[in-house]
Amino acid sequence: MEPKNDMNICNKCVLPGTFPGIRFDAEGVCNHCRQAEKRRETLSQQKARYHQKFLDLLDRLKRETRNTQPGTGFAGSSYDVLLAYSGGKDSSYTLTLLKKDFQLRVLAITFNHGFVSKQALENIRIITHVLNVDHLMVSPNPKLLNEAFRQSIDSDLYPLKALERASSVCNTCMNFTKSILLKYAIALGIPLIAYGWSPGQAPIQSSVMRWNLSMIRQMQGVMGHTFKHLLGDDLSPYLLGESEFEKVKDSKMQEGIFLFNIHPLAFLDYHEEKIIEEIRSLGWVDPKDTDSNSTNCLLNAFANQTHQARYGFHPYASEIAGLVREGHMSRQEGLRKLSVPPDPVIVSQVKERLGIK
Amino acid sequence: MNDVETVKAFIVDNFLFGESKELEEDTSFLETGIVDSTGILELVAFIEETFGIRMADDELIPENLDSISNVVNYLQRKARTGS
Repeated sequence: MEPKNDMNICNKCVLPGTFPGIRFDAEGVCNHCRQAEKRRETLSQQKARYHQKFLDLLDRLKRETRNTQPGTGFAGSSYDVLLAYSGGKDSSYTLTLLKKDFQLRVLAITFNHGFVSKQALENIRIITHVLNVDHLMVSPNPKLLNEAFRQSIDSDLYPLKALERASSVCNTCMNFTKSILLKYAIALGIPLIAYGWSPGQAPIQSSVMRWNLSMIRQMQGVMGHTFKHLLGDDLSPYLLGESEFEKVKDSKMQEGIFLFNIHPLAFLDYHEEKIIEEIRSLGWVDPKDTDSNSTNCLLNAFANQTHQARYGFHPYASEIAGLVREGHMSRQEGLRKLSVPPDPVIVSQVKERLGIK
Repeated sequence: MNDVETVKAFIVDNFLFGESKELEEDTSFLETGIVDSTGILELVAFIEETFGIRMADDELIPENLDSISNVVNYLQRKARTGS
């Protein structure tokens, strides 16, 4: 039977007919849902495998690094993990898991792009205080970042595939965040870099993954290529320098426990209500000024609106489709989240601050 | 389909959305912006699923993943060593 392309929304997940490369079958189910059904390894098997890989890594980490004298390279770090902490629900919950459940020495770091909700900043203060976690705030100069965000909106900086998963603005913010985390992890010798990515946000393959020098160089090269001509030398503090690459080489990275990327929500149970209940018990409060898909970022509403107008689909559609497909969210709730219009006041304030008419 | 065609079909279908004009066997996925850092991991998932192998952490390098040729050469090496 000929595949149908005239459907509005997949009958199983939430992907719309405007999503790049989407095809619907006779039952109105998209190719992404059908592909997920055909996986050799079931999702629960895959999660169990990565969960075990994570536990093995922690076991090795605690055994090999904590008894080592400081000053002997990365093995002597004062922290086990550097967490990208936005103050949103997922990273707040990830922080509680790392600290309370996995008993790790966490350094939380917030990339303050200038549009963090006041309530999210307060949540960061409360949660790090309650959990007794050290915290760093990195606030790049607004001129640089605002220019990067403006260019993200005006120019075609990313391939369509990257824009399937997130808006151009979000991609820019994530690129800066990832780069800054790499710099701090290398400088402080912290072996794990953690993110609070939800199961639909990134492939499970990266949930416990060791970085290697070759891949870091390539990724940094791409970021430099994307932004250097737009931001010039102002970009340099956000890219790894040769001395940092040398330090990684000296650490015998390939042999030791350095440097791992982790995002535990990919392989642990993920229930939004349970997550919110848990962090509320620690004092976390829902921000009222963010859009329906963020619990920390004010820029998100404008970024989503721009993305939707330009590409014809919501930048959170892919992530939410993943959550619905994996049973972490009902289809109805997913559709609701995607249909809530952005707050025009917040959008207007963001545009004004970015200097966009 | 042979391995080259299988990998090419995946990239064209999932990353180029049917536009295969600029994709040669040695085209760098990352340098040309066809695939981004997260996309590389989707490629890893595809390789593991399609060819029934597990890629170790130290195999997740551009030399194994950054072009059709690199992927196919990696698959051939993997088949030879059986690991």
